[in-house]
Amino acid sequence: MATVTNWIDHLSAKEVVGAVYPGAGSSETLLVILGIVLWLGWHVLTAKSESEELSRLARKKHGANDHKSNITDW
Amino acid sequence: MTDQLGALTTIFTEFYYWVTVVLMFLIHVGFCMYEVGASRYKHHQHTLMKNTMLIPLVTVTWFFFGWWIYWAFPTGPGIAPSIMNESAALITDESTFSAKWYMPNTEFMAVNLGDHISGVFWAAFLLFSWTAASIVSGAIIERITTFAFGILAIAIGSCFWVIDAAWGWHFDGWMLKILGYHDAYASGVIHAIAGGFALGVLMVLGPRIGKFSSSGEPRNIGPRNPWLVTVGLFLIYTGFWGFYAACNIPIFDLGPEYGMEGVTYWTATNIYVTPTTLSGITFNFLMSLSGGLLAGYWIAKGDPFWTYSSGLAGVICASAGNDLYHPIQAMIIGMIGVVIAYKLHYWVERKFKIDDAVGAVAVHGYAGFVGLVICGFVLNGYPSSGYSVGAMWDGSTYATINPLGQFLGAIIMFVVLGLIPGYVIAKILNGMGKLRIPRDVEIAGLDYEMMESAKSDEKAVSSATR
Repeated sequence: MATVTNWIDHLSAKEVVGAVYPGAGSSETLLVILGIVLWLGWHVLTAKSESEELSRLARKKHGANDHKSNITDW
Repeated sequence: MTDQLGALTTIFTEFYYWVTVVLMFLIHVGFCMYEVGASRYKHHQHTLMKNTMLIPLVTVTWFFFGWWIYWAFPTGPGIAPSIMNESAALITDESTFSAKWYMPNTEFMAVNLGDHISGVFWAAFLLFSWTAASIVSGAIIERITTFAFGILAIAIGSCFWVIDAAWGWHFDGWMLKILGYHDAYASGVIHAIAGGFALGVLMVLGPRIGKFSSSGEPRNIGPRNPWLVTVGLFLIYTGFWGFYAACNIPIFDLGPEYGMEGVTYWTATNIYVTPTTLSGITFNFLMSLSGGLLAGYWIAKGDPFWTYSSGLAGVICASAGNDLYHPIQAMIIGMIGVVIAYKLHYWVERKFKIDDAVGAVAVHGYAGFVGLVICGFVLNGYPSSGYSVGAMWDGSTYATINPLGQFLGAIIMFVVLGLIPGYVIAKILNGMGKLRIPRDVEIAGLDYEMMESAKSDEKAVSSATR
């Protein structure tokens, strides 16, 4: 996985390769796909949990000032 | 980098943009404080989280496709040919500034010893993207779902504002060539579009419960914590200063860039690669801020919320031409923008029952729009670019700055890329039942369950100490 194993060799090459992250040249597309999956997955999970939270709270029919009884004293 | 002068220039530029990014982070801190201060107690935590979560959502999408759009779309596509490859297609070829290099899977979108600029430049633009999304966030507090806001934030932050930046902010943008569009510090490119987008969303979202009486009279739901709001706005001013620096290229030799044989002319430039100075824009930033504050204090009769917002509106209004204005011109333009934005805010509120909770549409949208139009008159005849000078509608050369071009540019920013997409996306989300929180939740407060749980925790802790 290591792209660079010896800095002296790397920097003294005729053409220094700029990309030095692990998996350079072979893993980028896979990483982007993984990133997109994580990003979409986050939306699905949080949208579901927000909907559940809003429905639960809506069912309780609290008044506009009920939250004041939850203001902590301490 | 093999010679010392080249290395110094490169590393100075890298550091310069890095510093602007850190400064601009304060814009977001300010927006968070401002929004929480403007919201009611029972909505505080959700309001904060809504704005905070736009950071990762816009950042990730900016990495995936936002940055690519900026480099691909200057030609329209199909509206005016690029000066780099003379094609009006999307710029995805092998040229130096092609979008090809900014696909998320290229080696330039990572640590690369051969590229010291892409990451910091990407981040500077990303911070502009956060700002665009954050402007929308404030207007719609206390009744939008976090899910819907996330979608809207991505749309404005990683898509629509970037298209307008490619069209009207990129040195190769078609709006410069066809219209002579000039918007050095983003009156339109960020502020008018975000204000327009917010207005489009508000038209579908509707007002907060209780904002209007049964006869339609608006009621004031003032900021619940004016100190948080004012400190937030101070931070936005500070970050805005960093934004001004980020819109410049700090050191550049225009001689070879413009093809002037034997001429060397090192200078700072604006985003269009035409010369300006950090010194000059510092004059204008502070004078337009002052003009906004003076006008805001007067017209709002000393109301702190509007006075602070007016300082911001003053800068926003003058920003289109603050690379070239005289400081007193900048001050007067800032004052005009504030008066128009303030009056328009209340007129639109009464007439169309639009509940813009923080005045974002006015401060950013109307002031930005007016600033573009004024710029067309005050800078009429200046070149919109250093690369060439031509006629309006020509397309192969750059038109000079002119009132009609600026007015059309303002319409494109506020309406075409702002209001219409905001309205359409909000309509779709509303149709899916995902836009607005249920009425009972809005009444109870988004934070009700969190507060209830905190109360029981406090009780348990309290009883343990007896």
